[in-house]
Amino acid sequence: MVKLTPAQHHLLNQPFEKRIFLEGPAGSGKTTVGVVRMLQLLHAGVPGDQMLVLVPQRALGIPYLRALASPEAPPGGQVSVLTAGGLARRMVDLFWPLIARQAGFAHPERPPVFLTLETAQYYMAHLVRPLLEEGFFESISIDRNRLYSQILDNLNKAALTGFPIEEISERLSAAWNGESSQRRVFADAQHCAMLFRRYCLEHNLLDFSLQVEVFRNFLHPSFLCRAYLHDSVRHLIADNIEEDTPFAHDILREWLPELDSALLIFDQDAGYRRFLGADPESAIRLAAACHETLLFTNSLVTRPGMETLGEALGNVLLIYSPHHSQPTPPQKNDWKEILNFPPQSLRFYPQMLDWVADEVARLVESGTRPGEIAILAPILSDALRFSLANRLDVRGIPYRSHRPSRSLADEPAARCLLTLARLAHPKWNQPIEPEEVIHALFIAIDGLDLVRARLLGSIVFRKHSRQLSSFTQIKPEMQERITYSVGNRYETLRTWLSDYAAQPEMELDLFFSRLFGEVLSQPGFGFHTDLDAGRVTANLIESAQKFRQAVENAGGMEGTSPGCEYLAMVRDGVIASTYVSSWQPPVEDAVFIAPAYTFLLYNRPVEHQFWLDAGSNAWFERLYQPLTHPYVLSRGWEPGRLWTAAEEYQTNRETLFRLTLGLLRRCREKVHLAFSELSEGGFEQRGMLLRSIYQIQIQETRHG
Amino acid sequence: MDKSRSHPETLREVQPFTFSQSSLQDFSDCPRRFQLRYLFQLSWPAPIAEPIQENERLTRAGERFHNLARQALLGVSLDALHESVLASGESNLPLWWQHFLQLIPLLQVGECRPEYSVSVPMGEHRLLAKFDLVQYFATEQRAVIWDWKTSLHRPPRARLEKRWQTHLYPYLLARTGLPRLGNASLTPSGIEMVYWFPHTPDQPERFLYSEEQFQRDEESLQAILAEINRRQPSQFEQTANERHCHFCVYRSLCERGIQAGSLEEMEGDIDAPGESSLDLNFDQIGEIAF
Repeated sequence: MVKLTPAQHHLLNQPFEKRIFLEGPAGSGKTTVGVVRMLQLLHAGVPGDQMLVLVPQRALGIPYLRALASPEAPPGGQVSVLTAGGLARRMVDLFWPLIARQAGFAHPERPPVFLTLETAQYYMAHLVRPLLEEGFFESISIDRNRLYSQILDNLNKAALTGFPIEEISERLSAAWNGESSQRRVFADAQHCAMLFRRYCLEHNLLDFSLQVEVFRNFLHPSFLCRAYLHDSVRHLIADNIEEDTPFAHDILREWLPELDSALLIFDQDAGYRRFLGADPESAIRLAAACHETLLFTNSLVTRPGMETLGEALGNVLLIYSPHHSQPTPPQKNDWKEILNFPPQSLRFYPQMLDWVADEVARLVESGTRPGEIAILAPILSDALRFSLANRLDVRGIPYRSHRPSRSLADEPAARCLLTLARLAHPKWNQPIEPEEVIHALFIAIDGLDLVRARLLGSIVFRKHSRQLSSFTQIKPEMQERITYSVGNRYETLRTWLSDYAAQPEMELDLFFSRLFGEVLSQPGFGFHTDLDAGRVTANLIESAQKFRQAVENAGGMEGTSPGCEYLAMVRDGVIASTYVSSWQPPVEDAVFIAPAYTFLLYNRPVEHQFWLDAGSNAWFERLYQPLTHPYVLSRGWEPGRLWTAAEEYQTNRETLFRLTLGLLRRCREKVHLAFSELSEGGFEQRGMLLRSIYQIQIQETRHG
Repeated sequence: MDKSRSHPETLREVQPFTFSQSSLQDFSDCPRRFQLRYLFQLSWPAPIAEPIQENERLTRAGERFHNLARQALLGVSLDALHESVLASGESNLPLWWQHFLQLIPLLQVGECRPEYSVSVPMGEHRLLAKFDLVQYFATEQRAVIWDWKTSLHRPPRARLEKRWQTHLYPYLLARTGLPRLGNASLTPSGIEMVYWFPHTPDQPERFLYSEEQFQRDEESLQAILAEINRRQPSQFEQTANERHCHFCVYRSLCERGIQAGSLEEMEGDIDAPGESSLDLNFDQIGEIAF
């Protein structure tokens, strides 16, 4: 049983019918009291199926889901734990026939086709690629997939903020303060967004933005949907509303007066998901719609030094703000105890990684549980993840990593399956490189090492024919070198592929499933006991299946099969590069390697944090997004106002402050600052984070 | 050693665990399958049945039917739904829908809760049921649990009678009652479980519940939970009935065959969409920008 503070007891003693706005810093026990309030309501006889827990992101619903899965929750109907986007999608799916025609879909009699991020990017690419040939976006240099995703991002921002998509370019242009050629880029982005929206309406496709708009504009006002929601949501707990969007806040504002009970929880100094439309200013206005605001002030997580350092960083980083005119030194020197630096200056990046791995090993040896350590980077590249993983493996430290946009197509098992798919479909004319075949054989056949895979691959594969020849045709001395057991397995695989190619073509996802079940996961093949390969294959199948279903339901495509198109899109990096695998609960006892923002949104404090590459500017600078803008497209932005360089600089400082404060409030013992003089690319590093900490040290020295 | 790839091996490591009719049935059919699916949470995407395309088509048709039934029961215009059935191009759906339209007047008596889920604690764990429909007759204090079965082959009554679903669903409804419909405590004898087959609508299978059965079910549930709880990793043995392996995705891992069994021979629950996790991907958009 959780021990509660007097402030938490005070909240729980409030009558249910009171609408409460709870505010406080991270680590002050807000979510804990939210969970207890939910159980309190259930024990008081509130039907679970009349209760909604609204969170901005699934991971933030974990504490509620855990409590509901525990024997402490009483018997009864199921509480829904949803995001606003998830709610919109469910309602659109359920009440589609009510509004499809009215919302302008060309085929209201057909079911809606919900697009994933991948399939939305695919359709965007389909529409934008010809325009690129015509000269669209020629003045900017940007990866195509990032271009597609930023156009989608603009649509999402319009939907979540609540302005018409026709105004995207106008808003961006009005705030633009640089070269006028950029306005042409905004106009191109506008044109593409409109084209995409028209295409979606013509083909019953619903990307995230259209789900939100259809729900907001057509479903939410409809009698049947409203009655359904009114009946299903009598009691509400909305947590981390500062990370949610004006879309979610608008729904809450409308619902609040009619609810039987409500608890809204607001995390101060947060709003980390601004890039995804989070709007803490809009969230805090909901307090006015509640009967009472309660404040939790004391951290139940951190040591006092963390707060001191947080305040000192605020003094340094916010000095240019009109509200903070003078930087002041820290009031106490307890902040020094919570910071750990490398004992000597580290010149090169790999030295920094070695130091981190050594420190982690030292902590684990001295009794710290690996799950109490987080290694946090501003951006977690594959290379960095790999380098850290290697070092931790060598030291026998368990770890887990989470990077949201990890490329599925780069997984060895997926690469193997994709190459075998190309080999099995020679009519698709997909290019296959000998190296890909060698890799596929190496992964697919158990007992085949890379040397013999290279030997086998170079003999049996001819690039021009795109086919594999038989093991029996190889010279006996070569067969012996490769070994007959490997040869038999190779023949099983080759015969399976060749038999398949002689049959009518099958849907690609079904092909993968059958190849996996009948060959690759059988004894003697590489996936047989490789549980991770099973997971990757399942993800690839899901990705290919969703792609196919989206394409089929939208009326198919002319002249090519969905499978062939899927493989082409994977090669172009449009598909399977942004696949997000199913959510998994964190494993408790392993070092967590993650981007800093991802860690914040897991909302799980640890004893030790390593801030990796603290000298890098990536901690401070906003991502380069030439087609969109999180602040200009937010609800609080005054139309027509210019976004200046000073504003950019100040916003970056404020963002860095919020980020570091959020991290400190989720750290119980120590922050280990890892940095090297030279970056990974060999450049001198003097990023804002490191400079701010130096500045605190200097101020303190000056003031004795 | 990426720990995200390691999994618990016994139930004690994942407490609390929520048991559904599928997980209980999996354990009864094959303890190894239960271990792989629920403890290891192992994705193993081999075909379930052949022809694979036909199996997929039937699964989707089943999901579509469940969705249509729910929409109809929530008051969405039947004409609009009818139009969507005709436009679906799905061969089974129009007939199933016709049969369902004939059933609707019967379902409009009393109060209805479509797609209703309940869960109940039992020891250190929980039990979960996802009802397709619960119909409640207030004057008689009686409730009927409807379950739509769209699988190709209709299981014989004796087989249905043995399935965990037939026991778990009425048991859980008796435990929870229907507080939103004004009845917090239903007596077991007031509960009936009906399997309705849209392709043979006139032959539903009905199972009346009783106080005695409730007691027996409670004991059976406690016993099976205790049994799963006490098993060591090596005690989740493979089934002796290899027929189960024909329709099990883990057959290659267990070295129990190469090809999936024939759909013609499958009597199963391919029509239960409730336990898939489609909604896990609703929020992809929320995960990308960082």
